[in-house]
Amino acid sequence: MLPLSIKDDEYKPAKFNLLLKLSGWFRSILAEKTSRNLFFFLCLNLSFAFVELTYGIWTNSLGLISDSFHMFFDCTALLAGLAASVISRWRSNDSFSYGYVRAEVLAGFVNGLFLIFTAFFIFSEGIERALEPPDHGGHGHSHGDGGHGHSHSLFNGSAHHGHSHGGHGHSHGGHSHDEHGHGHSHGGHGHGHDHGGHQEPPCSNDLHPAAGKGSSKQILQGVLLHIIADTLGSVGVIISALLMQKYDLMIADPICSMLIALLIGVSVVPLLKESIGILMQRTPPSLDHTLPECYQRVQQLQGVYNLQEPHFWTLCTDVYIGTLKLLVAPDADTRWILSQTHNIFTQAGVRQLYVQIDTAAM
Amino acid sequence: MEEKYSSNVLSGGKLGMVEVPDSRLTKYIALLVVSKVLKALGVFESYDILKFVHIVQFIFILKLGSAVILLFFQKPFSSGKIISKRQWIKLVKHAVFSCVVSLLGFFGLTLCGPLRTLLLFEHADVVVVALLSVLFTNSGGGPSKTRGAALFIIAVICLLLFDNDDLMSKMGDHPEGHHDSALTHFLYTAISFLGVADHKGGVVLLVASLFLKVGFHTAARKLSVEIGGSKRLYALDSLVSAMVLLPWVIFLSVTTESKVESWASLVFPFGMVIFSVMILEFYVDAVCSAKMEAPRCARYGTFALFSSGLLLANFWTHPLTDQIRSMSIPPKLVSTEHVLSGGVMVSAVFFLMSSSILAAPSKKGQKGTLVGYSPEGTPLYNFMGDALQHTSQSLPRFITDSLKQILEESDSRQIFYFLCLNLAFTFVELFNGVWTNSLGLISDGFHMLFDCSALVLGLFAALMTRWKATRIFSYGFGRVEILSGFINGLFLMVIAFFVFMESVTRLLDPLPEQTSTQDMSWLRSRFGRTPVSVGGLLVNLVGICAFSHAHSHGSKSCSSHDHGHSHGEHGHSHGGHGHSHGSHGHAHGSLTGGMNANMRGVFLHVLADTLGSVGVIISTLLIRQFGWLIADPICSLFIATLIFLSVIPLLKEACEVLLLRTPPEHEKELNGALEKIDKLEGVLSHRDAHFWRHSANMVAGTIHLQVMSDVVEQRITQQVTALLKDAGVNNLSVQVEKEAYFQHMSGLSSGFHEVLAMTQQMESMKYPSDGTCIM
Repeated sequence: MLPLSIKDDEYKPAKFNLLLKLSGWFRSILAEKTSRNLFFFLCLNLSFAFVELTYGIWTNSLGLISDSFHMFFDCTALLAGLAASVISRWRSNDSFSYGYVRAEVLAGFVNGLFLIFTAFFIFSEGIERALEPPDHGGHGHSHGDGGHGHSHSLFNGSAHHGHSHGGHGHSHGGHSHDEHGHGHSHGGHGHGHDHGGHQEPPCSNDLHPAAGKGSSKQILQGVLLHIIADTLGSVGVIISALLMQKYDLMIADPICSMLIALLIGVSVVPLLKESIGILMQRTPPSLDHTLPECYQRVQQLQGVYNLQEPHFWTLCTDVYIGTLKLLVAPDADTRWILSQTHNIFTQAGVRQLYVQIDTAAM
Repeated sequence: MEEKYSSNVLSGGKLGMVEVPDSRLTKYIALLVVSKVLKALGVFESYDILKFVHIVQFIFILKLGSAVILLFFQKPFSSGKIISKRQWIKLVKHAVFSCVVSLLGFFGLTLCGPLRTLLLFEHADVVVVALLSVLFTNSGGGPSKTRGAALFIIAVICLLLFDNDDLMSKMGDHPEGHHDSALTHFLYTAISFLGVADHKGGVVLLVASLFLKVGFHTAARKLSVEIGGSKRLYALDSLVSAMVLLPWVIFLSVTTESKVESWASLVFPFGMVIFSVMILEFYVDAVCSAKMEAPRCARYGTFALFSSGLLLANFWTHPLTDQIRSMSIPPKLVSTEHVLSGGVMVSAVFFLMSSSILAAPSKKGQKGTLVGYSPEGTPLYNFMGDALQHTSQSLPRFITDSLKQILEESDSRQIFYFLCLNLAFTFVELFNGVWTNSLGLISDGFHMLFDCSALVLGLFAALMTRWKATRIFSYGFGRVEILSGFINGLFLMVIAFFVFMESVTRLLDPLPEQTSTQDMSWLRSRFGRTPVSVGGLLVNLVGICAFSHAHSHGSKSCSSHDHGHSHGEHGHSHGGHGHSHGSHGHAHGSLTGGMNANMRGVFLHVLADTLGSVGVIISTLLIRQFGWLIADPICSLFIATLIFLSVIPLLKEACEVLLLRTPPEHEKELNGALEKIDKLEGVLSHRDAHFWRHSANMVAGTIHLQVMSDVVEQRITQQVTALLKDAGVNNLSVQVEKEAYFQHMSGLSSGFHEVLAMTQQMESMKYPSDGTCIM
């Protein structure tokens, strides 16, 4: 008997070192492309907000201060995405036996929820304003929104491309709120580019998700939608401002905001649907049609009587897990059946499979 | 694949109608839409023309013009069969009828304005036939058609009752000045005889003429076969009806003097109307209904027509369009336009919905989904319908069913009663607000409605939890409850955050009392006035009692402060009471482990509301008594923190469940069970043991066991299942692996991608697909 664990009592967790921890986080953020981009974008956003805040305090302008607080709130979506992409790479432990990979789905879900919430408020405000149009005073603020919206969308485009020059970004951040036309066209660009950079390597492979190397599309989709919503908002503000100034169509403003709210709502729905499906252990939609075929093939194996309680679900993007029970004949070769079943479902793309083999009573 | 597994072999639903993909029909759809938009334009134009041209003359010109063009295109005399005398008589009858229908239609146009005419008169035949068959026959085609018919009727009623068109009242002042012929006079007297206003009379007239038109079209079908094609019939018909109308027009032009100064300026608008309303639409309709099915044609056409009508109605009188119109219309008209009211918008939406429902082809039988194959090889179908597929259910039955379900279980029953109470309070408030015309009350009521959404969400989740597991959601819907709790918690967080921010800003620069009431502060607007806040507080107190009962299982009685509620002044002191009780209930909830996240979310929401009202009451008291203006932001700060703190445990738990954590309350037992499993005879080791809570009463688990090669697997499985069931896992699957297999699998899992590539290669080599010869 060797005293294997004699030092267990003396072992103490390393002293909580904030600096060490921070640097660890920092390294893990920078270790991967998605989170790195998110981080840079967040930094740009935050610095812009801080500049706005300090400037607002300096000049004692309440509008600028409140605007910067709005931007801080906007940052939370990015922060959530970043946190999720870091958390989802944590290793699995005893309590979280699957690891934290689902954090990304959760982050996408939360982002989508917030967007729906925002869209709802914009919509109700649009209706309110359509019913009783206010005086001109309320437009100063929305102009400001347009201004910061364009910086958002710009950063978005550059961040996802991976060649974000600091100076470039800053010059745009320093744009005054007046030049709407610029921001508009640039915003459109950013949005267009973005779809290209959106396909990331799927999340961790193999049976041990902790060794992850890419975070999934839910985070990115959520963040992307958020940014697109911001861009759309600024575009809408610009268009409606133009319409109001040129043609004096006062109705354009509420209609624009309603349209944008609808657009946001519609574009968020798929994300929400997908993430809710994953969170509710839905059968993966991509397997919907291959699974019946697999069941059929398993049932045709020699000695298999019946297939019961098939459960298939998604752990995170592209990692599918399944359990099923097989009722087999008493004299069947269970080992062969087991490996055959595993083979069949591995071909369909199910990574982890649990097959319980019950022998039928004679 | 889709066809193979979801098609309905048994009832043959797919055999009847083949849906042509939209891509092949794109140009026809575009054509249809363009023609409908032009038609809407034409109707608006003809409304303008009808203001100064007599209706009979107008129709005569339309018929004559289209007859000339159609004769040129169709050449009905030089081609086709020779028309017999009997057929000529039928033609004349037909023409007279068509004249009457178009007279009625255009007369309705002068009464109701173009938009309403479009909405009422321009329905496709399919829609109206479906409507009539629902209304007057038993075989209407299922509950969805009934719904469509109900929508249609609601839309008409909307137009009749809720359409405040102030032009109508203007026209009502000089009813005699407008109409100048015997026919119009007759119609006016008929309408006034019915005892309705002009405008409503127009609506009734249009509906009647719509039915007449459809009946007329149906009756004319036989004649069109006799004559030789509907196009030929149409050409001949317009010619004959022009001739029928000719004597009347001559009579009119002799007896009355025309209001038109120059017919020359009207040539262009007339041409436009003739082209768009009479000719283009007819041809496009004919082409499209030949290429597509009539229902789809009707759906797209109606949609295009109505939406363009709405747009045009919005912009027709706009100065921008006036510039365009001025070249065609003499600008002498006083603008007496029909306005776009809320009733019209609502009814347009209803019309759109009803026509899309009514025009949909009726589906016979349900769609079965393939579940699997029986051992004999015959396919097995599931006719239960998946979660999101049962669309066509009778509405009343659905309501009674769900009511029954709600009342079945205590959770949903409590939420439901509380929701009813809340809604009743809200409606009383709204009603009172509308009655006394107080904007504050109305906005307060809407805020309360928004608050109800949390309750509705909770109720829905409580209902959905009990749905049966389907093929897609193989574990059942138990997780909805956790999701709903999560969402509720999240929103509470957001609200708390906003309240916090608001109170911080107000702490930093305190506003005077007058402006602070204008703030969009949640608390202020929600509980700004004392009577309302006391009322809301009472409602919320009831809710807290009910829900904390649910948590503490009746161990605590709340009746101690149920007696003095009628006194308004006592509301304050009760507020304090309610607060303390509320926190009690909460403590209980978290102590018992909070099995039901949904109920906890709802409870927390109600608690937050109560806290809010209590805070407002206290702060108003303080401000009034001592003049401490600072009390308000401090109170809301305090409350926001409280809400925040009380939501965090709920959120944390929900997150853990959603992240598939091993249930903390079972963790110790599970570890013990795993140790025992390892000590079982014949078991070598275990791997990949995953346990997670799926819903409140279901813990799922999976485990791989490696056993020696000489033990009976069945025994091991049973033992392990029993052990883990004791530990709380009630949905388990155990995979028993013997050594050889384990080696095989470890080889397989180490190179997943290689295996995948290999199998794809094999697939390309077309191996026998029964799966028996992979090894």
